[in-house]
Amino acid sequence: MKRLAAVAALLGLAAVTACSGSTGDKPAAGGGSGSGGGLYTTIDGLKPGLDVNGPINPWNPKGNSFIGLNAMRLAWSKNHLTDPNQFYPGIAESWEIAPDNSSITLHLHPDNKWSDGKPVTAEDVKFSIALAYTQGSTAFAIDPGAAGAASEVEVVDDKTVKITQDMDNPSVTFVRGVMDSYIVPQHVWSSVLSADFWDKLKAARGEGAEAEKAREEITALSEKVLAFAPPKDVSAGPFTLERMNPSEALLVKNKNFYNAANVGPDQVKLLNYTGNEQIWNYLIAGKLDNAPFTAVPADVMKRISTTPGNGVVKGYSPVSLGMAFNQSKKPYDNVHVRRGLAYLINRDEITKIASPEGGTPAVTTTGIHQKPAAEWLGADLAALEPYKLDAAKAEEEFKKAGLKKDGGKWALPDGTPWKFTVNVPAPFSDWVSGAKAITSQLAEAGIDAEVVTTADYPLYLKELAEGKYDVGFWLIALGPAPYNIYQRLYGVSNGWSILGGKVKHAEPGKGGNWMGGPETIEVDGAKVNPGELTAQLNSASGDEQKKIIGQLAKAANQDLPVVQLWDYVNTQFVNTNRFTGFPENDSDLLRQPSGVWIQLGMVKKQ
Amino acid sequence: MTAPVIAAGGGRAALRRNFWRGVWRVLKRKPSRMLGMVIVLGFAFMGAFGPMFYPDPLPRDTAALYAPPSWAHPFGTDFEGTDVLSLLVTGSRYVLLTALVTAVITVVLGAAIGLFAGFRRGRWDTVLMRITDMKLTIPGLPLLLVLSTIWKFTSALEMGLVLGLLGWGGVARAVRSQTLSLRERGFIEAARGLGLSTTHIIGRELLPSMAPFIAMNMLIAVTGAVYAQVGLFFLGVLPFEANNWGVMLNLAVFGGGAMSSPAALPYLMAPLLAILLLTLGIVLVVDAMDEIFNPRLREE
Repeated sequence: MKRLAAVAALLGLAAVTACSGSTGDKPAAGGGSGSGGGLYTTIDGLKPGLDVNGPINPWNPKGNSFIGLNAMRLAWSKNHLTDPNQFYPGIAESWEIAPDNSSITLHLHPDNKWSDGKPVTAEDVKFSIALAYTQGSTAFAIDPGAAGAASEVEVVDDKTVKITQDMDNPSVTFVRGVMDSYIVPQHVWSSVLSADFWDKLKAARGEGAEAEKAREEITALSEKVLAFAPPKDVSAGPFTLERMNPSEALLVKNKNFYNAANVGPDQVKLLNYTGNEQIWNYLIAGKLDNAPFTAVPADVMKRISTTPGNGVVKGYSPVSLGMAFNQSKKPYDNVHVRRGLAYLINRDEITKIASPEGGTPAVTTTGIHQKPAAEWLGADLAALEPYKLDAAKAEEEFKKAGLKKDGGKWALPDGTPWKFTVNVPAPFSDWVSGAKAITSQLAEAGIDAEVVTTADYPLYLKELAEGKYDVGFWLIALGPAPYNIYQRLYGVSNGWSILGGKVKHAEPGKGGNWMGGPETIEVDGAKVNPGELTAQLNSASGDEQKKIIGQLAKAANQDLPVVQLWDYVNTQFVNTNRFTGFPENDSDLLRQPSGVWIQLGMVKKQ
Repeated sequence: MTAPVIAAGGGRAALRRNFWRGVWRVLKRKPSRMLGMVIVLGFAFMGAFGPMFYPDPLPRDTAALYAPPSWAHPFGTDFEGTDVLSLLVTGSRYVLLTALVTAVITVVLGAAIGLFAGFRRGRWDTVLMRITDMKLTIPGLPLLLVLSTIWKFTSALEMGLVLGLLGWGGVARAVRSQTLSLRERGFIEAARGLGLSTTHIIGRELLPSMAPFIAMNMLIAVTGAVYAQVGLFFLGVLPFEANNWGVMLNLAVFGGGAMSSPAALPYLMAPLLAILLLTLGIVLVVDAMDEIFNPRLREE
């Protein structure tokens, strides 16, 4: 029931990306002039359960800062299929990225003002970055060993900021990390940080006891930042929070916003919800002008579609679902067992049962969502083993693994019964039905299979990481940056981590390694270290990147650390009765909340 | 309430015969009671033998997901095309066994503690009742939610044990107050005067007087246990069994959208109707039981 929130959050996480130099697109001037006005009703996919007492604070998870509306980032990522270096402007109007990724220079909108009339300045950006340090973001980490962290934040002039990467330990995630920063007004938040913060930070980035002390002091500020509640909303976004009650939040247009002339709606209303069923009912009633990705059963989808004005837009989202094995447990350490299982799983049927509207069956296991896979791999994709349903091949593989069939039931090589247990978090109803369908398919092939659910998602991830499960569902292909895609298969959870620029492999059960795969695997007869290949993606570009991705896709396809089940489809809902100008199918803007569409001037009153 | 006087020796068999004859008479008097009996026995049969009528694993028809009710599938099919009725029947064993275990534990523990505390009074009473009060102050559902994160309740016995251990407080308090009132009555005084043992007084004199009350509590505990465990499974905090009634409700609402569209409605209604029917059966039987044990209600 809380699936929406989890997947939406993961979509947000999905894409910590790279860059190599680009400038922001200008906001769309928007169709027609004078087409403003009206009340736009939607939900915030990241905020199930509005909290009236939440602070207007973008870092607070229960806070009432809504991304794209009254919470602003430096820029909005496009999550492009293969080029992760593209952004739409946010607080920054344009930017230059050094070719070697060593620095980014941000130019703010010259006439952008906070909703209280004060200008948005480079000092606000620098101050907000200081706040980001207390929360530990990717680009603004105080840990000296962190890859892709900034080394310097320099205010060039009133509207220009230059941020330099620490090139001792660079990462392609640096620019995305910078662009994802929330920007808040210094004049409202100034009491949170002491004047000597930057000195403290400098000390913290050193070594020794003093640095340790400084790091502790900065981390201790985290709670203070999270708890800070401005008395009223001062926003540089298109809207400010006017009032709210437990069932809805009302935001009104910020006249000082740089693109206010092109912002369609005068007001935005966010409705409260705690589960997907409420969103379905809002949609059936035609209340929502837009709803972000929501898991919807086929029949409910039909009812939603019959409501006048309702429409569905679909796009790519860089998320796939895999069934991951704990290879330190028998018999899943044997690649033939994993392959045999892959041959027994009918992915078309699983997707039809579990995610008919929000997923498309995986073409095969590559570790990449099929859309970017087609771009990255080209013709090589067709050459990979598709693992189509084939009971005979499964039997062959199981026999190769030494499994025995006795009385129609498969048993382990030593004759003990084999119980296939797949774990899923209980609140994700599509995962639960998908897992159940898998066990039914396996049971028909003579495998004693069962589903075990875990009460909630955080607990599920914790137990998964502790190696408590044999097999569990695992989100993969979290792009678009290739490194991020493959670190889901050959990253920390499979033993590889990058420390101080070096790749290290931890033993199964240690250092977060619950997948427990071997350090080197055989791909087409050659030994490959997939973790090292993945780490190389951090700095590789062009053809070299493509080559590594090809190798890793082949490794994933033959080694099967996961069986890729379905690739998510970003299915969203729009209603054109009151507003028009929504993104079309496959638009990159579908990967940002509707507040971003509005602030870029797309959404207009009907 | 007066205690049925139990004659010594050979009279007991005759008494028992009379008792069952009385039960039959009471049941016959109102058709509703017969109906209740039939329902309860029907559920007992379903729990005991129902699963034997179906193959394991249950067949599925993936061409007919959430199929509407038909002769082949009276309650339609579920998300993967399994007949909902077959899920309901095969799932009844866990639900009913849990309910039975819960009811037995609730009643045995509650009655024993209540009788002992009420009869002995004094220090024992104080200690036991403080424990009971403490137990009553613990909110059941939140505790179960916490417990479910560490304990998976895979067997009906475990589930029943936990629900039973959480549920005896009310029975213990009520039985104690009944005991306190009865122990001052003449027939108990007489028994004590005759020098009969405490075991005899509690077992033969006090307990029979409270039998109707205890029996009714037991039946009501059955419905309580069904609600509690189905509720827990509905919330999705317990292990997944596709044929568990609570899991069926959960999947119908959150996976099938039964509250938003009609396709999954039969899937939702089947376990709901089963629970409703079971409750109805028990209420009707409790009505009969009231009269069986309480001679003042006999309309002879």
